[in-house]
Amino acid sequence: MSELELALTRIGTELEYPETPDLTAVVRRRLAEGRRPIAWRKPLVVALAVLAVAVGAVMAVPQARSEILDWFGIGAVEIRYVEDLPAVELATGDLGVGEEVSLEEARSRVRFPVRVPTLEGLEDPVVYYAEPLPTGQVSFVYGTPEKPQLLITQVAALGAYEKLVHVGSSKIEPVSVDGAQGVWVEGEHHALFYPGAEREEPFRLVGNTLVFERADGVTVRIEADVSKEEALRIAQSMR
Amino acid sequence: MGRPGVEGTVVGRPLTEAELVERAKRGDQDAYGDLMHAYQGIAFRTAFLLTGNAADAEDAAQSAFVKAFYALGRFRAGAELRPWLLRIVANEARNRRRSAGRRTNLALRAAAAVPSGGAAPSPESSLLDSERQSELLAAVNGLREEERDVVACRYFLELSEEETAETLGLRKGTVKSRLSRALDHLRERMEVDDV
Repeated sequence: MSELELALTRIGTELEYPETPDLTAVVRRRLAEGRRPIAWRKPLVVALAVLAVAVGAVMAVPQARSEILDWFGIGAVEIRYVEDLPAVELATGDLGVGEEVSLEEARSRVRFPVRVPTLEGLEDPVVYYAEPLPTGQVSFVYGTPEKPQLLITQVAALGAYEKLVHVGSSKIEPVSVDGAQGVWVEGEHHALFYPGAEREEPFRLVGNTLVFERADGVTVRIEADVSKEEALRIAQSMR
Repeated sequence: MGRPGVEGTVVGRPLTEAELVERAKRGDQDAYGDLMHAYQGIAFRTAFLLTGNAADAEDAAQSAFVKAFYALGRFRAGAELRPWLLRIVANEARNRRRSAGRRTNLALRAAAAVPSGGAAPSPESSLLDSERQSELLAAVNGLREEERDVVACRYFLELSEEETAETLGLRKGTVKSRLSRALDHLRERMEVDDV
């Protein structure tokens, strides 16, 4: 160890630390009060990647495109109402969110602030980084890879994804997250895909979804089979 | 780490950390309390070094211990508990630092910061006298956040490189390179060529 390193170590013993508070008592009280559990209902469901081809084909054919009734955008997500979603074979598996990285590394790879839910009862997520867009995408997966319970994706882009929503069996409701405009999509018949990406990108059927665009231009998607209130609690706890 | 209720069941022998972890995994909050008691000091200091703020550090450490309790099921038996806990603490602390958008500079204790005066320091201790300590700490405070964090964990907390890597969620090679860059920057700022 060099003299400089020794000097730094010595400084560590001379720093003015506040007195350590009694964390034990407070934490035990918080644990005794019990967490308010997240009301997971079932794991997220993903569809096989090959099905993206089918969706891509639907979107590419003019007469199929005419079946789109309306659309609007929330930041990176364009939401399109359609009369028919393509039939898909459901499977659990790769969420297609990229490579697992540390939170620190994810933050270092993107130029936008990556926020983490601080809601009590949520464990630290497994963090993934992907580049479906040049600006990068950071995803948090909660639960196990086999049974993901919650997927949070943050990306800074416009119109990067398309979400197809079946007009008859899924509903969309405008919401506000700390003043940010968003939508709550509820129901089983909606899907997400990457219109500008390679068609082998996974096409996903997901749980209920909260999408909102923060004031800093970051679009946040919270996908989980939870109630709107639970999703909003998660969103509002992101710091 | 004495806890009468537990020692009463294991005659004459305090529970090991691994045994406490196993009990805590099953929901034993007394066992978890013993683990917290053992690690709350370094957890709080870690949070303080990363936030520079006592209130944020306390909040981060508290939340980290709550999260860690619920995450114990994912703690791998046989792994080191300290860096696992500190990683959760560091995540909480950095989230608060980011949210606050500021970080207070670290300071030396009053007694340590008073120049010794009088006796001339030996050449070997040129970096250890109080004035130089203050200058060096000011240089550390001026480092980029990512470099300051590894310096704080590695030298101020005296974590190993492996523990620093796990605490900060970095690869060991990244810790080495950041430390190397940080030391270079400190040498430049201290204008000390012989350390």
